[in-house]
Amino acid sequence: MSTKWAVIDTDIHPRPDPAHVGRFLAEPWRTRYLSGNRGPGYLGYWNPIGVRRSDAVLPDGSHIADSAESLARHFLDVYDIEYGLLNVDDLAIGLSPEGDYAAAVVSAINDVIVHEWLPVDPRLRASLIVSPVDPLLAAREIRRLGHHPGVVQILMPSGARMPYGQRFYHPIYEAAAEYNLPVAIHPGSEGVGIAYPPTPAGYPSTYFEFHTGLVASYIGHLISLVTEGVFVKFPTLKWVIVEGGVSWLPPLLWRFDKNFKALRQTTPWLTRPPSEYVREHVLLTTQPMEEPDNPEHLRQILAMFDAGHMLMFSSDFPHWDGDTPDFAARSLPPALRPRVMSETARELYSLPSSSAADRALDHETSHG
Amino acid sequence: MELDRLSIGVFNVRGTFVAVLNVCPHELAPVCLGPVRGTTLASLPGEYCWGREGEILACPWHGWEFDLLTGKALVDPRKHLRRYQVRVREDTVYITIPQGQ
Repeated sequence: MSTKWAVIDTDIHPRPDPAHVGRFLAEPWRTRYLSGNRGPGYLGYWNPIGVRRSDAVLPDGSHIADSAESLARHFLDVYDIEYGLLNVDDLAIGLSPEGDYAAAVVSAINDVIVHEWLPVDPRLRASLIVSPVDPLLAAREIRRLGHHPGVVQILMPSGARMPYGQRFYHPIYEAAAEYNLPVAIHPGSEGVGIAYPPTPAGYPSTYFEFHTGLVASYIGHLISLVTEGVFVKFPTLKWVIVEGGVSWLPPLLWRFDKNFKALRQTTPWLTRPPSEYVREHVLLTTQPMEEPDNPEHLRQILAMFDAGHMLMFSSDFPHWDGDTPDFAARSLPPALRPRVMSETARELYSLPSSSAADRALDHETSHG
Repeated sequence: MELDRLSIGVFNVRGTFVAVLNVCPHELAPVCLGPVRGTTLASLPGEYCWGREGEILACPWHGWEFDLLTGKALVDPRKHLRRYQVRVREDTVYITIPQGQ
């Protein structure tokens, strides 16, 4: 498959083997983890098709996302993906009320990714997951592994105990900025553990309702980050909203700027309209692309914010609601495709440009 | 099955054989790898009525449900599977693929 633009996928979900995670855990956590008690669990909403794609299974029964080798061969190769960012989806542990256990588990998961997944293929990069339930321990984790060349981002659950702009969380951002790592949030754990309900209205009754309303938490965090002055205090910090959709952003920014004119005196550290901080510090990923009946309507929305510098392709592989690179690219106006499909991510994550020939060579080397 | 470079799924819906191209009209997923099952029929709020067992094919990617007997997506009949004519003679199923496909 050849395209006129490179493809960098900013949201791929590996599933590290729990037995391997256990090897990186010290007692008293190892026995507990290996016994199957791994955190606060989920609310139990049911998706009839399953969250992980049932067709992404190899003849031997293993899932493509269960190993770095399979992921490289059966996903990166197939879609000619230049770089793939591994985002472990086991984020609910970060909403456990047991902060020490949560911090130990995320460290062990990060160790598996860094030591067992990243070395397998030069196209792989990883987000370091942290548990925001204890920001000091999260900052310690960033300082433990943030220097690793394959680590390009910090990842937290979008479900949270309080809005992410609040001072409680600033140690995480201080450490991330120190290592020049963007902070990303990913949905799925809303309402889990000590998080607030999945929507401010309360607990949805179905996965359908839950999934459709996930954007509520993104809106809350984004407003909080700007008004609390996170981007004033940490002027180099970038924030990535993964899997939150895009169509809600422009009207929110209009309202945000309108209110700023009247209410700025309550946040005197903001010297410019909120939309300017968002444009400079916040990025979004594409999946799940909204699909209006009239495709032109989506293109109009993409013209209402700086999509050429704020939007990055993501597949969400192997989740049920993923988008293929071809599908995402077709949804975009042609002029935006090179930026969205790869170049914005290449800049954000400082990924070296590599020609197709170099990639092939790297690939040969990595597979011996 | 693979036929003439086309991947085609053949389903036996309670004795009626149906052949469809293994491509979902949404994002081109291998739709035939999804589960064949029933579904909830339209009902009043709070009521659940299961029916059409064995007649519904759900895409393994985004869960779109297709009526195997018509090929149409349940939520939008404009979206449909590509179907092929099927004939059964004695113990053999014949599928007709139009020229040029």
